[in-house]
Amino acid sequence: METPISEEKEFLTEILEIKKDILKMIWLAQSGHPGGSLSCVNLIYILYKKLMNIDFKNPNWKNRDIFILSKGHAAPAYYAVLSKIGYIKREDLFSLRKFGSILQGHPVKNEKIGIEISTGALGMGLSIGVGCALASKLKEKNNHIYVILGDGELNEGAIWEAAMAASHYKLDNLIAIVDRNGIQSDGSTEEIMALEPLADKWKAFGWEVIEIDGSNIIEIINGIKKSKEIIRKPTVIISYLIKGSDVSFMEHTQKYHGRPPNKDEYDIAINEIDKQINKLLGE
Amino acid sequence: MSEIPMRDIFGNFLVENAENYKNMVVLNSDLSLSTKTDIFAQKYPKRFFNFGIAEQNMVGAAMGFAISGIIPIVSGFSLFTTGRAWDFIRLACHDNLNIKIITTHGGLVGGDGSTHSALEDLSLMSSLPNMKIIIPADNIELIEVLKYTLNIEGPFYIRLPRGVFQKIHKPNYKFHPDKIDIIKDGNDICIIGIGYGSNLAYQSVLNLERKFDISIKIINLSSIKPIHIENFISEIKQHKGLIIIEEHNIYCGIGSIIARIVSEIYPKPIRILGIKDDFGQSGRRDVLLNYFGINNVNIENKIKEILNISK
Repeated sequence: METPISEEKEFLTEILEIKKDILKMIWLAQSGHPGGSLSCVNLIYILYKKLMNIDFKNPNWKNRDIFILSKGHAAPAYYAVLSKIGYIKREDLFSLRKFGSILQGHPVKNEKIGIEISTGALGMGLSIGVGCALASKLKEKNNHIYVILGDGELNEGAIWEAAMAASHYKLDNLIAIVDRNGIQSDGSTEEIMALEPLADKWKAFGWEVIEIDGSNIIEIINGIKKSKEIIRKPTVIISYLIKGSDVSFMEHTQKYHGRPPNKDEYDIAINEIDKQINKLLGE
Repeated sequence: MSEIPMRDIFGNFLVENAENYKNMVVLNSDLSLSTKTDIFAQKYPKRFFNFGIAEQNMVGAAMGFAISGIIPIVSGFSLFTTGRAWDFIRLACHDNLNIKIITTHGGLVGGDGSTHSALEDLSLMSSLPNMKIIIPADNIELIEVLKYTLNIEGPFYIRLPRGVFQKIHKPNYKFHPDKIDIIKDGNDICIIGIGYGSNLAYQSVLNLERKFDISIKIINLSSIKPIHIENFISEIKQHKGLIIIEEHNIYCGIGSIIARIVSEIYPKPIRILGIKDDFGQSGRRDVLLNYFGINNVNIENKIKEILNISK
C-alpha cells in the first residue's frame, strides 16, 4: 500500500528536483553560480510555493506580495522555482545565459514572468524593498515585501543605509532573509570581511531578528509566519544554510561559488541528488 | 526685477501640483532646505520621505516606489545624487523605471567649492540608456520641463543651478524635446548654450554682432538626451561654425556629444567653452565663470578663431 507523501516530504522532493534543474542549467551554460543557488533555493521555493500571496496567471496583480532576489547571482534557483510555479516554461530554463534568452546570467526585470526588478549588482535589493514597503504603506496595502540577501552582500554599505531607513520608517511589511551560508566569492565571510556578531548588528539597527536552520523547511515556514506577526519594525531572518547544499563536493566551499560543474562532476551531482530523492520516496 | 531662484520655483511647483499628481512622492537626502522641497514636506508630510545623508538608499527606494506605481521625485545636490548613487541610477535606467531625479547645485556652486561642484554629472547621466536629460535655462522653461517630466514615463535627470538664470524665454514658451529651441536667429555663427550657456550667449550676442558685423543664432539645447538629431542638424547647416557653452567638464561633456554628432553628419568648425578638466573652486559665481573662461571675452575669441580674424 502506498503511503501518502506528507507536505513536507513533497516540498523536499520538489526542492531536490529543482536542484537538478539548477545544475543542468549551469552545466549547459558552462557558467554561473551553483554554490549560492543551491544554498538559498529552499527559501525561494517555500516563499513561492507556500507563503507568498501571488497569482502566476496574473503576475501584475496589484495586491501581490513582492519578491526581490537581491543576491541576483542565485538566478538559476530563482528561474527554476519560477518554472516550477508556472511563470516560466521548463524548456526555457536551459537557455540560461545564452544569446537571446530571456534568462540572463542575473535576473532582468520582466513583468510577464514575475521578475519585479533586475538584480545582481549587489547591495541594492534592500533599498528597493524599502521603497516598495513605503509605497505599500502609502497605498494602505496589506502585502509583504520579501528580500533575499546574500551574506557576502552585507559587505555593501548601502545595505546598512537601507537597514537604518527600514527601522526608521517602522516597515513591518518588509522581511529580509539572509542566506547565511558563510562563504563568499573569495572565501569564508569571516576571513574576507567579518560579519559576526551578525544578529547583534541587525538588532542594533532596530530590526527584529529571527535565526533559523534554513535547511529545515518547517523552520523556514514558521520563521516567516512569525515575522509577519511582528509590528512596527522590520524583520530579518538569518537563515543558516549550506553553500552548494546537497552536492557533497560543492558543500562548504567557495570553489563552486562562480564555477560550473564539468560533465563528470555534473553526473556525480545528479546521481547524488537522485539517491536522496529515492531515499525520501522510499521512506 | 531679479528672478526667483530656480530651486524655489521647483519647490513651489511640487506643492502647486501635488493634487494634480496624487501618485507623486518627494524623496530627499537631508537637503530639503537647500533643494526647497521643505515646503512640500510641510504641506504633504505623508508623501515626503527624508532618507538622511544616504543617496544610494534614496535612489534604491525610488526604484521600489516606481515598481509600485508611484512617481518618485528624487531631490538632492547634483553631484552627490548622480555620483554617489550612480550604480543605482544605472539599474533604474536599465529597467526603464519611472523615476525623476531633479537636483539643484548643478555646475559651479560658489562658496562651497570644488568638493561640491557638479561638473561631471552630465557625463555620468548621459552614458545611461533610457535616461532623458533636460537642463532648463530659465524659470519659464523650468515649469514647462517639470510638467513634461511628470507626464512622460521613464527615468529623467533635470539639473538646476543653485542660483538664478535670467529670463530668455517668452511667457508662452512650450517645451518639446524634438523642437530645437531657437532663442535668437542668425546666419553666420551658431552658439549652442546649455543651461547658463544660453543665458551668457543671450547677454553677449548683440555686442558681438555689431562688432564683427555678423549675425549669430542662439540655440538653447535644453534636451541633452535625447537630441533630435535631424532637427538639430537642419538648424546648424548654414553656419560657418559652432560655439558650445557648457557649465561642465569639457571631457565627456555635452560639447563632446555635439562634436561627435556634427562631425559624423555635417562637419564644421566647433569650439567648446567649458571647464577644462578641473574640479572648480570656491568663489563668487561670476568670478569663477571668468576664471574658467566661460564669459563673453572667450565667446569673442572663439568667433575670431572660426572667422579667421587675427585681432
